[in-house]
Amino acid sequence: MRHNVSDIDTKDVQRPGVSPAWREAAFAITIVAIVTLIALALRSYLAATSLAMAYLLGVVAIAMRCSRRVSVAASILSVAAFDFFCVPPYFTFVVSDYEFLVTFGAMLVVALVISTQTARIRASALHATEREARTQALYRLSRTLAGQTRVFDAARAAVDVAEQVFETKVLIFLPDDGKLSFRKRTADYVPVPASEEHLAQWVFDHGVKAGNRMKDFSNAAGLYIPLRGAREIHGVMCVVPGSNSTIFLPEQQNLLDLFANQTALAIERTISQKGAEDTRLRMETEQMRSSLLSAVSHDLRTPLASITGAASTLRTQSDKLAAEVRHELLESISEEADRLSRLVANLLDMTRFESGAVELRRDLYPLEEIVGSALQRLEPRMEGRAVSTVLPADLPPVFVDDVLIGQVVANLVENALKYTPEGTPLELAAETGADGVILEVRDRGPGLAPGEEDRIFEKFYRGATKGAGGAGLGLAICRAVVQAHRGSIRAFNRPGGGAVFRVTLPSGNRS
Amino acid sequence: MKPLILMVEDDPQIRRFLRAALTAEDYRFQEATTAEDGLTQASAYRPDLILLDLGLPDRDGLEVIRGVRQWSTAPILVLSARGQERDKIEALDLGADDYVAKPFTVGELLARIRAGLRRSATVAPGAVFQFGQIEVDLEKRVVKVRGEEIHLTPNEYKLLQTLIKHAGKVLTQRQLLNEVWGPNSTEQAQYLRVYIAQLRRKLEQDPARPKHLQTEPGVGYRLVTGE
Repeated sequence: MRHNVSDIDTKDVQRPGVSPAWREAAFAITIVAIVTLIALALRSYLAATSLAMAYLLGVVAIAMRCSRRVSVAASILSVAAFDFFCVPPYFTFVVSDYEFLVTFGAMLVVALVISTQTARIRASALHATEREARTQALYRLSRTLAGQTRVFDAARAAVDVAEQVFETKVLIFLPDDGKLSFRKRTADYVPVPASEEHLAQWVFDHGVKAGNRMKDFSNAAGLYIPLRGAREIHGVMCVVPGSNSTIFLPEQQNLLDLFANQTALAIERTISQKGAEDTRLRMETEQMRSSLLSAVSHDLRTPLASITGAASTLRTQSDKLAAEVRHELLESISEEADRLSRLVANLLDMTRFESGAVELRRDLYPLEEIVGSALQRLEPRMEGRAVSTVLPADLPPVFVDDVLIGQVVANLVENALKYTPEGTPLELAAETGADGVILEVRDRGPGLAPGEEDRIFEKFYRGATKGAGGAGLGLAICRAVVQAHRGSIRAFNRPGGGAVFRVTLPSGNRS
Repeated sequence: MKPLILMVEDDPQIRRFLRAALTAEDYRFQEATTAEDGLTQASAYRPDLILLDLGLPDRDGLEVIRGVRQWSTAPILVLSARGQERDKIEALDLGADDYVAKPFTVGELLARIRAGLRRSATVAPGAVFQFGQIEVDLEKRVVKVRGEEIHLTPNEYKLLQTLIKHAGKVLTQRQLLNEVWGPNSTEQAQYLRVYIAQLRRKLEQDPARPKHLQTEPGVGYRLVTGE
C-alpha cells in the first residue's frame, strides 16, 4: 500500500465539524470574559482561590470545544485575567501576596493538563468515528464487489460505492489490449477535460498516483489512482474533487488508496474466474470433439469397410461368384455408399450450423408444400409405410427457411421410419397453436425410454430403443434448425403407445 | 443417329462412370475437363445435350451456360453439389434446363437425360396433354380430372399451361412469375405459392403429397408427368 500523504498539500484543508480557529478564539475569549464578570461580581464574598476554580471550569468548557492550541492560550489568558481582576491589588498584574504565585503556578499546570487531556480524548473519539466510517465503507465495497463476475460490473460497482463514500464524481477507465481504453469506462459522461486522457494513460503506465494536487500533473482537474493488482495494473480510477476538498485529507487519501486496491483485487479475481470458466469450456469442447471423433470414425469406417470388402471381392473373384451373389454385393455397395453420403451430409450440416455459417432465408410458405416435398424426397425409403397427413386447409403459412424446415420434417419422418417396426403407421398432423403452427410426427413404435425425451436431441445420442445405426445427428440438427427459427421442438410418448415429436414454427400471422 | 452428349466434368472417377453409363445406353459422347475446353467442344461438336459440373478448375461452370446460351438451345443438365440452392437457381435462371444433385444414381441421371432430349424434340402445340388422371385440352382450354371438367381461374390456367410447356423441367420461381404474371412480379414468390397450393387442391388427389406438381425446395417447381 502506497502512502502518498507527503505528496499532498494540506494547508487549506479544513476538518469538517471543527470550527475555524478564529471562531474558537472568540469562543474562548467569551468564556474567559464571562468567568471574569462572575468573578468581579463575587470577589468581595469569596476567597480568591475559589475564583481560581471558576477559571478552571471555564478552561474545561473551552477545552471541550476547541483545539489544544486555543485551550492552552485560554489557560494562560485565564491565569492572567485571574491575576488582573481577582488578585489584590486589582487591575494590575502586580501581586502583593507572593503566596498567589503558587496559586498561579498550580492553576496554570491544572489548566494545561485539562486542556491537553480533553483535546486528546476528543481527538481519539473523532478518530474512532472516522475509523468506523472507513471500515464501514470498505466493508460495503468488498460486499458489493464480492458478487461481481465481470470486470466491467466490478468496476461499476466500485464506482457506485466510491461516489457515495467520497461524495464526489468517480470514474474508472479499463484497459483494452494493454492500453487504457477511454471507451471502456464506467460512465458515459466524463467529468474531466478530454486532454487528461493522456494523464490517465500515464498513471496506467507508471502505476503512480497523479493529477490534482499530486506531485505530478498537479494542475489537472481529476485525481488519478492506478488500480494495482497483484500482477498488473487493471485500470485507472479518476476522482474529481469538485467542491469537496476533504478528499485531500490524509485519511481520505488513505481510504481512496484502499478502495483502488480492493477494486483492483476484485477485477483480478473476476479475470481469473473467467480464465477458469474458459478452461472448463475448452475441456468440454475437447471432450465433445473426441466423442465426435469416436462416433464419426466408427460410423464412417463401417460402411467404408463394407464397400471396400464388397468391391474387392467383385474385382478379384468375380468369375467364381454366382450372379446372385454378385448382385447382392453390388447392392450392399450401393446401400452403404448411400448411408455414408447421408452421414457426411448430416455432419456437414451440423458443422455449418454450429459455425454459424447458415443464414436463414425465411419467407412465408404453406406447410403443406414443405411437408409434401420432404415426403417426396423420402419416398424411396418409405418401403410401403402408411404415412397419413392431416393438414387443415386453413392453416396459416409459416415464416421459415423452406429448405431447412423441409429437412427437419424429413429427419423426423426418417427417424420414425428407423425406430419403429415395419408396417406400423406414421402420422403427420398440423394445427394452429398459440405460438404459431404446430406440426406433429406421430408413430406407433416402442416409444421413448423414460428420461430420454430431452437427451435424444443431443448430438451423438442414440436412442436406447434399438434401431438402424446412425450418427445420432438427425434430431440434433432438427433442434438446431428449429431453435434458429425461434421455434420449439420436443418429444413425448403417445397415449396408446408410440412417440410424438412436436415442432412449433412461427406462423406468418405474427410477422 | 444416336444423340451426342458433351460432359464437362473435371473429376476422373465421375467421368469414368458417366462414360460407362452413357456407353451402356448407346449414347455418343465427348469429354471436356475445363470450362474453356467445354465451350470449345460445344461449338465444335454441337452436342444434343450438355452435362455440366459447376465446380470446374479454370472458370465457374455458370460461364459455360452463359457462353453456350448465346448461340445454342441444346439442353444443359447441371451436376451440382447438395445444398447449393443459390447456384442451382442461378444456373437455371441463366438457361440451364435441369440439375441432378451429387451424389446421384445412374437411374436418376439417365431419366433426366431422357427428359432433356425429349423436350428438345418439342411437344406439338395445340394437342391434348395428359398426365396421370388429368387431361388438359390446350386448344379449348378445358381441364378434366378423372374425366370431370374442373374450373380454373385464368391465372391458375396460365400457370398450369406454363408448367406443361416445360413439363419435366425445373422452373425457378422467377421464371414462373415472369411467364405468368409478367416481368414486374418476379419478387412476388408469395403469389406463386398460393396459386400452386390452389392448383394442387384442384388437381392432386392428396395435395400434401403431390404426384405431379412437385416442389424443388429452395429452387422452384416441376411438373412430373410420370415415367
